[in-house]
Amino acid sequence: MATTGASDGASAAKKEGLVTLMSGDGEIFEVEAAAVAALSVTIRHAIEEGFGDRPIPLPIVGARALALAVEYCRKHHSLGGGAGEDSAAYDDELRAFDHNLAKVDRDTLFDLIEAANYLEIEGLLNLMCRTVAEMMKGKSVEELRRTFDVSNDYTPEEEEEVRREVSWALD
Amino acid sequence: MAEDPAAAAVGGGGGGGRGGGGGTRIVDLTDDALRAVLARMERGDERDAFGLVCKRWLRIQSTERRRLRARAGPAMLRRLAARFSGLAELDLSQSASRSFYPGVVDADLDVIAAGFPNLRVLNLQNCKGISDMGLIALAGGLLSLQSLDVSNCRKLTNKGLTSISSGCRNLRSLHVAGCKSVTDNLLHSLSKNCLHLEELGLAGCGNITDSGLSVLADGCRHIRFLDLSKCSKIGDIGVSKIAEASSSSLTSLKILDCFNAGDTSIFSLAKSCPNLETLVIGGCRDITDESIETLSVACSQSLKSLRMDWCLNITDSSLRCLLSHCRHLVALDIGCCDKVTDSAFQVLGMVAFELALKVLKASNCLRITVSGVGIVLDYCKVLEYLDLRSCPHVTRAICEQAGLQFPESCRVNFDGSLSENHGIVDVFF
Repeated sequence: MATTGASDGASAAKKEGLVTLMSGDGEIFEVEAAAVAALSVTIRHAIEEGFGDRPIPLPIVGARALALAVEYCRKHHSLGGGAGEDSAAYDDELRAFDHNLAKVDRDTLFDLIEAANYLEIEGLLNLMCRTVAEMMKGKSVEELRRTFDVSNDYTPEEEEEVRREVSWALD
Repeated sequence: MAEDPAAAAVGGGGGGGRGGGGGTRIVDLTDDALRAVLARMERGDERDAFGLVCKRWLRIQSTERRRLRARAGPAMLRRLAARFSGLAELDLSQSASRSFYPGVVDADLDVIAAGFPNLRVLNLQNCKGISDMGLIALAGGLLSLQSLDVSNCRKLTNKGLTSISSGCRNLRSLHVAGCKSVTDNLLHSLSKNCLHLEELGLAGCGNITDSGLSVLADGCRHIRFLDLSKCSKIGDIGVSKIAEASSSSLTSLKILDCFNAGDTSIFSLAKSCPNLETLVIGGCRDITDESIETLSVACSQSLKSLRMDWCLNITDSSLRCLLSHCRHLVALDIGCCDKVTDSAFQVLGMVAFELALKVLKASNCLRITVSGVGIVLDYCKVLEYLDLRSCPHVTRAICEQAGLQFPESCRVNFDGSLSENHGIVDVFF
């Protein structure tokens, strides 16, 4: 798959149908406008607002996550026309692509959730959040803290209080 | 660690191996992103575990929560209100059998009115301790309320209920079954104020009359579900008005034991309500074949459940028409229709579609024999429940003698040893 990938020169000659994205850490990506606009609501709006010939700044999205998000858009645009998982176009190749993408390491996973949320790429957000939810499934509170490296800021009394509330709320 | 990011991910396979260390952690996610993760967790206990991890996650989980079923007590409700500020559904319904325990009281309703401003659905079924004062408080606070169930809250009268209908103009669903002192005045108020009303449960509200129903029909023209069971003063005039006004919206009508309703009611339904799915006319003993046949044809594409036990004029002719026209019929009760014979079922052999019938209740059908039941078993392949109590010609012994084979998936009630409240039966009637 030929990629237009990350290009170093921001001043590279503008090509027809391309749009320039700038990650939070300053990397420049030239990508097919149609593909990203079809999948990302945020970028679609930016293009509509006339950002088409200037780099679109994406302050909270790092280069690594942006590259993956762009790849996701391309793949889903070219193979599935941007349609969701329920559509017939969501075939084995797309499924395999998604499956592999969900195997990224944990840092990237969280970066991607943040990126998908910011860029409003529904399918990518769903894919990544489901992956995390799957990791959380069946774990005790203590296991969740350990697995995700979250420190417990409850005092024992507070924790007990919340547990009691949980037991009062029945469902 | 600065390898080509795109290659690392899209290449797949080899990914996954890199450890954490200084990168993004889950605690770096924004609230929005964490919410998105939480939204993918379905089980209540897993969502509760999420909230127990740390205070920030509790805040996210609590404000995200839209639905709550809880035991009451004002102090606890106040705490829940503070925590679940965005709550849209609250279920405080009590079990019917715990009659000695008042459960929710008016003081709780004050807390609810003040603490859950976004509440849309409130279930207070069987909360026998609440009174009109509590409802007046609710009506003042819950402006977005769309659904209220106060079935069997027997202290309630028109005073409290009309305060709800005039305060909660978005009401879509109201259940007041068993609130015996309700009169037509409530229907007047609903008709004037709650134009979006779709669902109304009035079972056992014996003071309701045709005149009240006519007024209701003038204002509330999109009734989808109406239960008038045991409202024995109502008759053809009221039912016909509702049928005409709600027409294609009406999918479920229950008039159990409303013995003043006769063929005229059924003809109106046939004429005006092409989407009728559930009809309960048990005990409406004046209803005859003529109207049931008309209904079978008119609602052939919609009718799913028909309960007409104790409709003593019903004969094979009605049954033949129902079975041969209503292809979506799932549940049928012909209990005590003692004119029905085996020959009604012979039509099943000539029906061009697969029968969907899952529940057949035919208790006290004195003339039905094993031959009729045999035909039913031959053609109703998805039958799950068959009620044959008090059918003198279809006892367990006679069936065994005749070598009748009941499929494993079908429960047969010969002598009442199976609970009458078999789940599947409740679902349909």
